[in-house]
Amino acid sequence: MEERILEFIGDLRRAELRISTSEALDALAASAEVGLTDRETFKSTLAATLVKEARDHETFDRIFNLYFLDLQALGEGLKKALGPEDPKVQEQLDRLVDEEGLDLDELTELLMRGQGSEMEMAIRGGAQGAGLERLMYFLQVGYFSRRIADQFDWSAIEADIEKIMQALEARGLDPGQLARIRNYLELRLEAFRRMIRQHVQRELERRAYRAGEQLTREVLADKPLFALTPDEVAQMKGVVAKLARRIKDALALRQRQEQKGRIDSRRTIRKSLQYGGVPMEIYLKRRHREKPKLITICDVSDSVRNASRFMLQLVWSLQECFSRVRSYVFVSEIAEVTQAFGTYPVERAIEWALKGAPVDYHCRSDFGYAFSRFANTELESLDRKTSILVLGDARNNYNDPQAWALRLIRERVKGIIWLNPEGQWGWGIGDSVMPLYAPACDIVRECRTVGQLGEVVDNLVHQWWRRGR
Amino acid sequence: MFESVEEVQQRFRDARYIASRRISTVVFLAARMGRPVLVEGPAGVGKTELAKTLSDVTSRGLIRLQCYEGLDEGKALYEWKYAKQLLYTQLLRERIGELIADAPSLPEAVSRIAGQDDAFFSYRFLSPRPLLQAIRADDPVVLLVDEIDKAEPEFEAFLLEVLSDFQVSIPELGTVKAKHVPLVVLTSNNARELSDGLKRRCLHLFIDFPTPADELEIIRLKVPEIPERLARAVVAAVQKIRALELRKPPSVSESIDWARSLVILNARELDPTLVESTLTLLVKYEKDIERVRGALEKVLAE
Ligand SMILES: Nc1ncnc2c1ncn2[C@@H]1O[C@H](COP(=O)(O)OP(=O)(O)OP(=O)(O)O)[C@@H](O)[C@H]1O
Ligand SMILES: [Mg+2]
Repeated sequence: MEERILEFIGDLRRAELRISTSEALDALAASAEVGLTDRETFKSTLAATLVKEARDHETFDRIFNLYFLDLQALGEGLKKALGPEDPKVQEQLDRLVDEEGLDLDELTELLMRGQGSEMEMAIRGGAQGAGLERLMYFLQVGYFSRRIADQFDWSAIEADIEKIMQALEARGLDPGQLARIRNYLELRLEAFRRMIRQHVQRELERRAYRAGEQLTREVLADKPLFALTPDEVAQMKGVVAKLARRIKDALALRQRQEQKGRIDSRRTIRKSLQYGGVPMEIYLKRRHREKPKLITICDVSDSVRNASRFMLQLVWSLQECFSRVRSYVFVSEIAEVTQAFGTYPVERAIEWALKGAPVDYHCRSDFGYAFSRFANTELESLDRKTSILVLGDARNNYNDPQAWALRLIRERVKGIIWLNPEGQWGWGIGDSVMPLYAPACDIVRECRTVGQLGEVVDNLVHQWWRRGR
Repeated sequence: MFESVEEVQQRFRDARYIASRRISTVVFLAARMGRPVLVEGPAGVGKTELAKTLSDVTSRGLIRLQCYEGLDEGKALYEWKYAKQLLYTQLLRERIGELIADAPSLPEAVSRIAGQDDAFFSYRFLSPRPLLQAIRADDPVVLLVDEIDKAEPEFEAFLLEVLSDFQVSIPELGTVKAKHVPLVVLTSNNARELSDGLKRRCLHLFIDFPTPADELEIIRLKVPEIPERLARAVVAAVQKIRALELRKPPSVSESIDWARSLVILNARELDPTLVESTLTLLVKYEKDIERVRGALEKVLAE
């Protein structure tokens, strides 16, 4: 069983649940405490030791069900597959075996008396050496079913059945009864073959699930954002959520490693003078680190909407890394949408920012106008602790770029980072005014895929942390 | 402590707490393996109550550390009473003088004073807070660290150290090690993500809203005088209201409150007017109340 649990953990890891070695060991120790008799208990045990995030429960459940078949439910299903029971026939067979002391193959015994779940276990045993790890396509199901079937001695079973029939005949059963019994045994044999095939299909499902998930993630992370279908956008939300978690975890780890406080002897002694030199109050050295403030300014016109969506999702999922986040969206009119993020879950707030904020979504992007408005109304609220993250393709539709506004903003803040969802080769060509804005920015990055977006934001968060020391 | 998961379930029920299979399993494992349990879940699903019941069932004292923003080691572990210590030193100045009066040399004087260390550094000058109380307790206890997500991450890191070996070192007194490893229950409402280290150390229990069957049991237990028919109607309605995607879906404690007041109002069954007039017991936000009002027919449908 241990092996099976470890294999299961491997699959959870492939589905991006993070499970440490100590947790894997906990899972083994804990399942030894509860045993396997009750499926629900066993499942709760693995969940309690392996799943530490509420959002991972769904994945856990799905993989658990593929892995640890519900033998009882399966047994019910198999009972059906085995055809209607025939107690009379069964009784005759049982009596025969008891009285005659026939020497039968194990599998024949199983066929004659076995329950569905025992048969399933036998099939699993047979599958051990069948090389199922090479199973990948639907077309292979037949081949592997045959390979498993080959593990059983079918000729012995057939010989056994003949032996049984002869013994029954010798006991004087009439042809009608004999036919009924033969039919019964053959049906069961047939059902057993079917079960083998079903087993292989389930294995395939498990593997395909595993490979499919991974493939989707890898492909999606490198696909240009504008080309995502609505379906892919939906999947991508999950990818971005995981990305955010990864960035946060890495940061948290670092913070913890660096944060042991030491006594600030200067302050402690100074204070102790008030008490005749007794250090009544101890001061610890706090490595002082102020979290940065962040303002995002997103173009939400059609061409870059997906990029804005994921940038907003990423930034707002990381909001505890910042002391304050504010967000603005524009096409040409610019509006603050921060409030929505305070009121609704991130997801809903984003939908609203992309579609419902008080800006005209159908006009043409005008970066110059948006920046000048922003400079006019928000300049006073900016300070040196604030960084600005701009997302847009800088395609200004031949409007006045008003680069002065961005320069003015830059003078007030700690830095401006510009993410451009368009490939670098296009910057400055046609109505792209990226080169005019670039001098006011500290960093300008191409950001065509979620992979790139993640890299940029990850770097940012960690750099702030490093510089803040 | 417990022989089986079933025993946990039974004993909790006897203590008037309905523990699902999942809950009982985790409690069983925690007791067996001596590991802390981290309980997460929406408000009012019985997280705190779980710890209290555990203390009941095991006849162990309950020590509670309520977390809040700004909670630090001093408030959680112990505080050194400098003022008291200083006062003692002042008062005893003369005695100290006598002690070293005839010392032939400075080193001798120092070592005589050092010989009295125990008098100056003792538990007398220390006020133990919940964590130290739990560690120093003579009998095994249940330690409830409630709403850990409210405390700062720094505190969490500190707590993790304590939970890892149940010993703390007090500079003035040396290392204190727990006589018995306490049963530890931590709760979180998910106000922020907890650190990996803490999660790794703990068994994890996510308590969601109860199934209809469990909730019915809870209502019967907590509001024994409720007519069966009304209890069923209450549970059905509450479960449907939870499916409405409200800002704050009704918790178990709220459905208990609701059931109680319906009983006080002598209700035998639910009708729209009755539900409307008592709705504020169940949902708290204006928007949510409107939502439920709008869906009343659906909520009360059989
Ligand atoms: N499974 C249960 N069995 C019996 N009573 C329960 C159960 N779940 C909840 N209750 C009742 O609900 C009330 C609220 O539970 P409790 O205070 O433990 O919730 P909580 O999860 O700690 O909530 P919060 O997150 O707001 O602190 C308890 O007083 C208890 O009476
Ligand atoms: Mg509570």
